[in-house]
Amino acid sequence: MGQKLKLKNRKYTGRLTFGTYALAMFWLVVVSGILLAIPFDVNSPYLSVSVMNLTDIWIILTRNAHFFSSQLFLVLSLLHIYEHFHYKDKVGLKPGMAFRLSIGVLIIFLAMFTGFLLKGDADARQARLILQTLVERIPLIGSALAFSLLGDSDSFMLIYVHHIATFTVFIAIIMAEHSRRVWPPSMEVIQSVFVVLILSILFSAPVHDNLNPTVKGPWYFVGFQEIIHWLADPEWSLLLFFIILILLFWANSKQGKLMFISKRSLLFFTVIYIFLTIIGLFFRGEQWEWKWPGEAGYCYSVLANFRSSSVSFFSEYDRSALANSPVVGGRKESCLVCHAETHGFSDSHRPEAIGCFSCHGGNPFAASKKQAHRHMFLVPGNLASATQSCGTTQCHPDITSRISTGLMATLSGMISVDRYVFNENVTPDALTNVHDLKNSAADEHLKNLCVRCHLGNPKTETGPIDEASRGGGCLACHLNYSEAALDEQELIKGDLHKQHPSISLQVGNSHCFGCHSRSGRISTNYEGWHETVFSAAEMPDSAVYRLVEGNRVFVKKQADVHHQLGLECIDCHHSFELMGDGTFYAHEEDQEDVQCTDCHIEGLPKTIDAKYIGNEPALIAALRFNKFSDKKFLVTQKQNHVLVNCWFENDSVYLITKNSKQKRFVGPPASVCTKDKAHANIACSACHSSWAPTCIGCHNAFDHNEPGYNMLSNTAQKGAWIEYIGTYEAKLPTLGIRDIAGEKEVIPVTPGMVLTIDKKSFTGMAHDSTIFHRLYAPIAPHTTSAKGRSCKSCHNSSVALGYGEGELKYEIVDNRGTWQFYSLYLENINDNLPEDAWIGFLETRKGKVSTRSNVFPFDIEQQKRMLTVGACLTCHDEDSEVMKKSLNNFKDLLVERNVKCILPTWE
Amino acid sequence: MKIKTRRTFLKAGVALIAAFTSYLWHRVTLETSGAGRRKPLQILLKQQQTVLFADDFILINQNNNITVLSAFCTHLGCRIDKSENDRLVCPCHGSVYNFSGEVVSGPAYKNLSKVPFKISPDGTKIEIEK
Repeated sequence: MGQKLKLKNRKYTGRLTFGTYALAMFWLVVVSGILLAIPFDVNSPYLSVSVMNLTDIWIILTRNAHFFSSQLFLVLSLLHIYEHFHYKDKVGLKPGMAFRLSIGVLIIFLAMFTGFLLKGDADARQARLILQTLVERIPLIGSALAFSLLGDSDSFMLIYVHHIATFTVFIAIIMAEHSRRVWPPSMEVIQSVFVVLILSILFSAPVHDNLNPTVKGPWYFVGFQEIIHWLADPEWSLLLFFIILILLFWANSKQGKLMFISKRSLLFFTVIYIFLTIIGLFFRGEQWEWKWPGEAGYCYSVLANFRSSSVSFFSEYDRSALANSPVVGGRKESCLVCHAETHGFSDSHRPEAIGCFSCHGGNPFAASKKQAHRHMFLVPGNLASATQSCGTTQCHPDITSRISTGLMATLSGMISVDRYVFNENVTPDALTNVHDLKNSAADEHLKNLCVRCHLGNPKTETGPIDEASRGGGCLACHLNYSEAALDEQELIKGDLHKQHPSISLQVGNSHCFGCHSRSGRISTNYEGWHETVFSAAEMPDSAVYRLVEGNRVFVKKQADVHHQLGLECIDCHHSFELMGDGTFYAHEEDQEDVQCTDCHIEGLPKTIDAKYIGNEPALIAALRFNKFSDKKFLVTQKQNHVLVNCWFENDSVYLITKNSKQKRFVGPPASVCTKDKAHANIACSACHSSWAPTCIGCHNAFDHNEPGYNMLSNTAQKGAWIEYIGTYEAKLPTLGIRDIAGEKEVIPVTPGMVLTIDKKSFTGMAHDSTIFHRLYAPIAPHTTSAKGRSCKSCHNSSVALGYGEGELKYEIVDNRGTWQFYSLYLENINDNLPEDAWIGFLETRKGKVSTRSNVFPFDIEQQKRMLTVGACLTCHDEDSEVMKKSLNNFKDLLVERNVKCILPTWE
Repeated sequence: MKIKTRRTFLKAGVALIAAFTSYLWHRVTLETSGAGRRKPLQILLKQQQTVLFADDFILINQNNNITVLSAFCTHLGCRIDKSENDRLVCPCHGSVYNFSGEVVSGPAYKNLSKVPFKISPDGTKIEIEK
């Protein structure tokens, strides 16, 4: 009660109210504003604000003081109104005065808002457009009013004039008339200066970096921004301002019920508005989408405006360096003052063009190293932060929005198949994501042994991509260290580096190697290296052996013919295959777009005129090959993507290697591939793969005492799944059938998951018996040879047919021919099939047979047909006329056959 | 009309001044913001580029079928500067449009306006009358 009386008394003294503090703040605003006008350049507002932030401690303080004194002036003015309403039974102003005061409140907001616009940053530019649109929609006078308020859209001059003159003069007059004083009491001035100074030292006035996609209005209008976000016709929200002004007018000038209702309405609105402001400030991010605290990217997206640094009193560079630093994105960037001589970039990523901030983040307005490096990415491009670096609106947002859908980011097939063999999934083809792994036996197995290779696995240290690299987001493929950068990396630790690695389209085989030298091992296969089970110590001293990652020993085999001709991985695989196309795929063969027959084609290929290709291939073609406008590029048959290094010219297909720029003629397929009927449904890789890596079984068990590693969280743990491998072999692949909607195709397969899993060792549950599976997997061996495999290597091969290694013999006894098979390997006790077999001799299997739901072994009839030809091949040379004839009319030849020709019997 | 009192005279005076000021404002605004001050805009046509954000305009090129849309969101006039999955997205309140400028999701409900344009005789530029 005493407190209330004391407060009530204040109004009579005319002092110590919020109003006198507001007056003090007004003077601070005016003084700091006059000082700020000197470095401010209305023709380049954003640039001049950035220069102010970097130039001098006192200029920074002046800008901060202008900001904080004006914000406090607004707050204190509103509190002053509340004070009047709360402590007086009635304000009882004359209508004229009340009217001018109400307009005064509107003018204060306009003065504040024009100050916000004068930053000229992304927030300000969008806010200006919003104000312009809203005002223009006022009937009759809207356009004229908007133009009178904002002026020409290319200029800030009229806004500046209104800010410093029109509105300021109006506020000064209203204040003088209202309070009948011009000068604030000295004590209030001292206190105000003190508070503003402290705030100005501790926090900097906000300015948008022009890269963060979140745009918000000033804090006092984010509640309004929340309201207009609900309204399809936001111009009606202007009525809200009108109503508030009317309520203010009534509350100040009327009495009785009308005054009471006006005051209560204003109070009610204030409470609601504070609530909406909190929503706008703390729960709205990019594109005004709702974001909860703790969600991925919350701080970057929602709290960007609060990333305000304190003022550093020790500038770490001289002003001449600032003057010479380039203007990036319309502003000076503090990074480039220190990192002025850094070089090594690709043209598109030169700091003069994009600065440092657009990739590395941090604070581009900082005046000290510590502030500049706050929130920075030492290694940008990791997928978790890619939208804040490589994927910002001005750079590669299309790619970062789709890359997470690609298999290299999801590992869908790997996860789905692993859960399938652990009997946790009913299908191997479910769409899964590495980020959704839980704690099941399969998921822990994946975390211990498999999932290091997803693109989202962050690269945390500088250095080149090498054999040991896994993941790394955009850098996984696009990072390149020059010799000089590598040397500097070795020599200089923790000091200013001048040699920067480049981010470019020079994606070499070494980028793919780390991940793709595992599992199907396509990287090593392609270069003709096959993994052995030798340890590093056992590696023979011979050039045909190679050590990978310090502990894996590979032996030389036949390299892929494309490798021999100088083609690298990216010469076949295009950007939509590698970086995803926005669709989630279950398996590699689904995402894979390029087929052999896209380039090796007889007749006319599918092409597109260079001027009609999409933006991404056009950009890639321009960067790689400069001139390409006269080309007819090849287009993939499967998904219609452009192959920017393959074109049709003079009735021939040509390819240019993307990195080394070697032009190659691309020949049509051999006539045996396209002319005969017998092999029409055989995949190119079924014949042209010279070998494929295989393994013979493995055992998986969980050891609770094993020092393990969680590849998802990159942390050590006690207890891990251990894989006990058998042996590796390199041989011609087995053949199987892929059935896509009734379209059957013969494809190469290898043992994919022939294994036992001791599930009980993980779960400890007695009912979890040891799991056994004999699943083969489709494979793209990447060991292409120009010449296809021999007829006998399929028709007379137990491995090709799926029986495993052994002696497959055609025996003729008493004019009766029968095929016999003697397995090399013993039978597995789980299914009584030879250890390396897919199926039994002249048997087939159904159910869980492969790592896909559409891949099967040959059925018995298919085996018989294969072996019938095999029987012929036991006598007839595969190049003989009769065998060539058999390719098109085998049935007729069988009818006309010589009596010496004994066909197999199957009983 | 005979002026009767000083108050009436003052009121009439204020009204006259207000009317004159309004007329002045009208003339000043009219003279300054009048149409025809701007030169036509030319944008280099990149046939390969599906979406091109050119300040106040968005060029959409679908299979060589070119549309020029106003870049200003019909909800509140924010400048749209981003496309995601073949959609144009407003940064301020998240209104989404397709490449024909039609609203896919609000708060906007009016389509982006299509801007008349000409292709230069040599086929390399888009000319827009501002």
